[in-house]
Amino acid sequence: MSFPSGAAETLTLMQIAGREDLLSPIIQLLWILFLMLFILYPNFSQKLQLSYILRDLERKLYNLKRIREEVRSRTVETLRKYSEGNTDLERELDKMILSFAITPESMDPYGIVYKLEHIVNIWEDTFEENVRRLCPKAEEEKAKTLTNLVEVARGIDYLYRVVRHYYLLGKRTANIYIVLQIQMLMPQLMEIAEAYRQACYAFMQGQPVGDGVGALAAAKLVEGLEKKTYEVAKDTIVHELVMDGRNLFVLRAVGPGGAVGKPADGIIKIIEKEGDRVKAIVMVDAALKLEGEDTGKVVEGIGAAIGGIGVDKFKIEEIAKKYNIPLYALIIYESISEAITPMRESIAKAADEVVERVKNIIKDKVEEGFSVIVAGIGNTVGIGLS
Amino acid sequence: MLPSSREKQILNPLTFLRCLGCSTINSRPFKEGDYVFGEVEEKCPKCGGDRMKIVGIYVKEPEQREGKKQKTL
Ligand SMILES: [Zn+2]
Repeated sequence: MSFPSGAAETLTLMQIAGREDLLSPIIQLLWILFLMLFILYPNFSQKLQLSYILRDLERKLYNLKRIREEVRSRTVETLRKYSEGNTDLERELDKMILSFAITPESMDPYGIVYKLEHIVNIWEDTFEENVRRLCPKAEEEKAKTLTNLVEVARGIDYLYRVVRHYYLLGKRTANIYIVLQIQMLMPQLMEIAEAYRQACYAFMQGQPVGDGVGALAAAKLVEGLEKKTYEVAKDTIVHELVMDGRNLFVLRAVGPGGAVGKPADGIIKIIEKEGDRVKAIVMVDAALKLEGEDTGKVVEGIGAAIGGIGVDKFKIEEIAKKYNIPLYALIIYESISEAITPMRESIAKAADEVVERVKNIIKDKVEEGFSVIVAGIGNTVGIGLS
Repeated sequence: MLPSSREKQILNPLTFLRCLGCSTINSRPFKEGDYVFGEVEEKCPKCGGDRMKIVGIYVKEPEQREGKKQKTL
């Protein structure tokens, strides 16, 4: 490099330039080293990404853990209110939270639905029995809601353990593909975790949840009318009445405790009693909306509108086929978190719309003198008998 | 997020009560033990009757639907 000589500015310039002369080889060397890192160590960028993802996962996992602890301590607190004080509640709760049911072998699927039903029934009964044993002070309806509460605690605990599993597995094996998958799911999982947290408060206090809209609509359909009410299956009641000349059997789980009942068993019993007089089954249930759809929108369709593990759906479809009874479905759109958190206004308002639409379906599809079954599906926490 | 800000996010539903005397509907925050179709002994602010029926329990949503609808696809 050459510099014009003489002026004072040039001197300064030279000084800087001189320093640059010293600095540039160092920078160049650093650059080369940096590039060599990528050449000699091709996984470098991946390692960098992995550690970044792991840090992100760790933070979310920590939040998840906090939600789980919160739900767990609220559950213990609530159970304690109804217990006798001498039981080790935390230990007993952990036992329930970690309990599991083994699904039947599906290598030969013949008759699997009834096997599954058998196993799930035992599991649910054991769960409920345990809660009753722990909380002798809770009356019938409250015990059912407490069972739901323990199920919520179990749900969030399981979610936490699964996420932790993938985090630790990915970390131990330094496998970016494992951590990537769980990281991609994390936003939705965190949303579900938050919903569990809200659900815990709802069940603690016995507030109606979004999932209960089917039962609420069934209750509103018969509200204030003269009817005969009796239990038709476990935790399931039926209101028998005459409306516009048609015999109406309105079925729902018994409230205001948290229960979903056994709608299929109820429907089967009614059909076996009524026989060919049943001309339609109308099912009302909350259903998962697609993103962008309005919560509380009521949509009509055909089929057995019922969620769960599929046992009830199977049994209802089977009996409907046997007697050749059409199945009409009315569903109320809501998101997964809206289903387990306190009921929103738009969902509660949808119940009134459902009542009108059920009445229209009955008028359209069932002639006078015949029978129709209306089944309101959903958890009846906070929804009493009308 | 601090625990205090998280607490605030808990959805607190309102209980809507209909007076059995004058049929006026009024609301108050949910209390444990409330359930839809249940009857409670509470004073009606309008006629002074003391029996009310719970007609609804839900979380009130903010009324900004119209503006929101225009923006959604
Ligand atoms: Zn009044």
